[in-house]
Amino acid sequence: MDFSSIAAQLNAGTILPEGIVIITLLAVLVGDLIVGRTASSRWTPYLAIAGLLASIVALCYQWSSTDTIGFLGSFNSDPLSVIFRGIIALSAMVTILMSVRYVEQTGTALAEFICILLTATLGGMFLSGATELVMIFVSLETLSISSYLLTGYTKRDPRSNEAALKYLLIGASSSAVFLYGLSLLYGLSGGETQLDAIAKVLATSGAGESLGLVIALVFVIAGISFKISAVPFHQWTPDVYEGSPTPVVAFLSVGSKTAGFALAIRLLVNAFPIVSDQWRFVFTALAILSLVLGNVVALAQTSMKRMLAYSSIAQAGFVMIGLIAGTEAGYSSMIFYLLVYLFMNLGGFTCVILFSLRTGTDQISEYSGLYQKDPLLTLGLSICLLSLGGIPPLAGFFGKIYLFWAGWQAGLYGLVLLGLVTSVVSIYYYIRVVKMMVVKEPQEMSDAVKNYPAIRWNLPGMRPLQVGLVLSLIATSLAGILSSPLFNLANNSISRTPMLQATMVQTKQMAAVDSNSSLSTRQQN
Amino acid sequence: MLSLFILIPVIGAMIVGILPANLISRQVRSVALIIAIAIFAFTIKLAIDFDLTDPNFQFSEYLSWIPQLGLSYSLGVDGLSLPLMGLNAILTIIAIASTRPELERPRLYYSMILLVNAGIAGAFIAQNLLLFVLFYELELIPLYLLIAIWGSEKRGYAATKFLIYTALSGILILAGFLGITWLSGSTNFDYNAINTQTLSQTTKLILLSVLLIGFGIKIPLVPLHTWLPDAYVESSAPVTILLGGIIAKLGAYGLIRFGLQLFPETWQLIAPGLSIIGVFSVMYGALTAIAQQDIKRMVAYSSIGHMGYIMVAAAAGTSISLIGAISQMFAHGLILAILFHLVGVVEAKAGTRDLQILNGLMNPIRGLPLVSGLLIMSGMASAGIPGLVGFVAEFLVFQGTFPVFPIQSLLCIIASGLTAVYFVILLNRTCFGKLNNDLAYYPKVQFSEQAPALILAVLIFFLGVQPSWLLRWSEPTAEAMVVVLKNNAPTQVSINLQP
Repeated sequence: MDFSSIAAQLNAGTILPEGIVIITLLAVLVGDLIVGRTASSRWTPYLAIAGLLASIVALCYQWSSTDTIGFLGSFNSDPLSVIFRGIIALSAMVTILMSVRYVEQTGTALAEFICILLTATLGGMFLSGATELVMIFVSLETLSISSYLLTGYTKRDPRSNEAALKYLLIGASSSAVFLYGLSLLYGLSGGETQLDAIAKVLATSGAGESLGLVIALVFVIAGISFKISAVPFHQWTPDVYEGSPTPVVAFLSVGSKTAGFALAIRLLVNAFPIVSDQWRFVFTALAILSLVLGNVVALAQTSMKRMLAYSSIAQAGFVMIGLIAGTEAGYSSMIFYLLVYLFMNLGGFTCVILFSLRTGTDQISEYSGLYQKDPLLTLGLSICLLSLGGIPPLAGFFGKIYLFWAGWQAGLYGLVLLGLVTSVVSIYYYIRVVKMMVVKEPQEMSDAVKNYPAIRWNLPGMRPLQVGLVLSLIATSLAGILSSPLFNLANNSISRTPMLQATMVQTKQMAAVDSNSSLSTRQQN
Repeated sequence: MLSLFILIPVIGAMIVGILPANLISRQVRSVALIIAIAIFAFTIKLAIDFDLTDPNFQFSEYLSWIPQLGLSYSLGVDGLSLPLMGLNAILTIIAIASTRPELERPRLYYSMILLVNAGIAGAFIAQNLLLFVLFYELELIPLYLLIAIWGSEKRGYAATKFLIYTALSGILILAGFLGITWLSGSTNFDYNAINTQTLSQTTKLILLSVLLIGFGIKIPLVPLHTWLPDAYVESSAPVTILLGGIIAKLGAYGLIRFGLQLFPETWQLIAPGLSIIGVFSVMYGALTAIAQQDIKRMVAYSSIGHMGYIMVAAAAGTSISLIGAISQMFAHGLILAILFHLVGVVEAKAGTRDLQILNGLMNPIRGLPLVSGLLIMSGMASAGIPGLVGFVAEFLVFQGTFPVFPIQSLLCIIASGLTAVYFVILLNRTCFGKLNNDLAYYPKVQFSEQAPALILAVLIFFLGVQPSWLLRWSEPTAEAMVVVLKNNAPTQVSINLQP
């Protein structure tokens, strides 16, 4: 093999966006070492944002490229991965906007924080395109280990320490279970590590639907649903969300979750096509549990971050409807929902950060009477929460409608009905916060609001927070009404991904067979 | 043209929302009133341009919005929605005009009222099922805030109850629409593209019952009505006018538009059941109203009864009964608005709504003579006294229903008599008798407080003696709806005979 063919097979251009992030990361790290902590905190966040923006631009150029397979088949930069990498990069970008002030105020180093955050971003981005077992595991661990560090970043706060410990113990064990599943796959397929090859061997060798494959599937799902916090694997979420620094929570709820869904699509669709009924069944159970538990337990929360933790469990349940549907509309509704979820959740967390920066608390009852002191914050949080609840004409309404529509088309009537009912429950706890802020009379103001400091946007790090808030607010209110381009983006990313197209043809044929047989039985009756 | 009915209130709500903070409440109200009058003027223009002979959708607008979802921005108005558009425009003006001028947080209040107006107008003219749901849910949050912020003592409880019931109703409607569209094999939600003929009778029955429960909550039909007394009683008078005057009509409109028109044969199949539910609502509303001690609660229950007539008329499905249903929606909207407005004035001046305490308001000097005079007139209109608009509507309902459901129709007439009973009780206890000398130092009623009631009274009287102005809009549409029902009747019988 001569050098040029190796270079062609490496196809290093596929990871250009990640390359830009790596360079930014190193620049931030080294810059911090050279100029010192106080000096670096002035420019490192903006450098990191510029780097992420450049990476997103590079992703745009990759969108139409046809030569997508790189690194000897272990990385695939098809449109599906491009869109997931874009979501992760965007979520990191908004997270940096909101963390400037927050991290400064805790008295810790900002550049270090950004470095770890960028490493997590890198892990998530690689995970979205990884098509090889080792590559998947390495990028998953990069994401996880940086997340543990981020959750425990405010190391003088005992709650943050506890959260980090809890997350580390559960995360490491779920990674181990995941690794067990991957090694079983390696063994079952006779030594293949690439997902395509594994599927091919399993389909022909007769190992399909063996007990070993089912165990591998279950172990892999345990790892995936830990990342997306589906219900039996969700226990870390409320505690970690409450204990960690809030910008980290924002990143975990969007970036890390998106990476988990990217992994789910890639791994389940690509490596387990012959047991697709089984994993659909398992995910149906996970979705039902997440929808019910996430929404019902969120009713009883008193802390804002904990409430948003359960809400993010429930929102994962909604997204899973699209994954279970497994049709073109199903996958693209997932992507669309994750896109709008990015804006809603990050907008919501920006407001939570803003409130806790000014008052030092994030109890829901402390928000009462806020509209008088801080109308922008009230408006922002209300719009984001109502959008999470699916109220028209906000982005979340269209996201949910598309998910339900796709689910209904795929015949998941029960799941869609459950989704509809639980979204009524969710409206109740989202509007509880709105009620606290808007409805309460001036004499019912909480102590925190009574002593609310004068609003000053010119403090260091407040401008980026404001920019992040306004941007996500605009996106949340308008991404629904002007959603046609986003819909096209989501649909194109699915229809132009060869891997998904291949499996969907199969399911379509199977569905046709199903409907024929059901027709014939009906005629017999 | 039709987009204006959505755009003007939405833009108006934004303008009102960002008015400078140094404006006093009264000035904000004037701005809102100007916007509402502009909407009303456009409604008049719409009614003038409306072709009275055409039963189809007019002034249609179509814009492809999100084709992947089957959602298009498709508007149109016909004889069923035009009177309700008019009602919406009138009652928004009345609601704004009857708000206390010194209200706190006026910007939020008036922008919410305008948003409710936009949502309702949008729902009446939407010709795409998903677009209808969008507008239907759009009024959820503004109304919640209107009840929860400016209501009376137990407003938090009432607002939450309203929110949950309405959200459930929206969910059921959405589920029904998804079912209709997908099961009938349509790729989009456009009203005209939906063809339910291919569905089996059982499926249609299930879908129709889902819609029935969904819209029945909003109307409300009797077993689903429990949110209503709380929401009506705890809201301030203008919000009650909106709630009872138009929001309830949204449910009845939805049921006729999507229940009757999309499933004509199934509708006829369950029509006897529907008429019984309607009669049950009518009787229940009348009998519970008699037992109330609170005048607002009494009017609230009377509203349940009057919405029951619409249900009975829609179930009968003759052209006269459908015109009756539409005119009953309009008439009930006007009458309920004037009643709630007057009750609001009485409460503001006398400080109570209790029938045991109120007395002798007819006293020309120290009482509230004009208000109680209007109260007597509107009570009579509600009870169906000839010469007022309530009689016209109820008579059409009875006349159209009698050939189909004679017993139900007779029961409705009896309940109409009961309506007279509780309004006589109400008038007797409040307007007549002697003033209590210790308590009766009522503030003067300003002209601006009476003006909304006077306008409504003139309208009620005028449409009562000149009913063709009320009926002419919906005649062709009602005829066309009936044709669908009649044509399907024979096939329905043959299906039943086949096995």
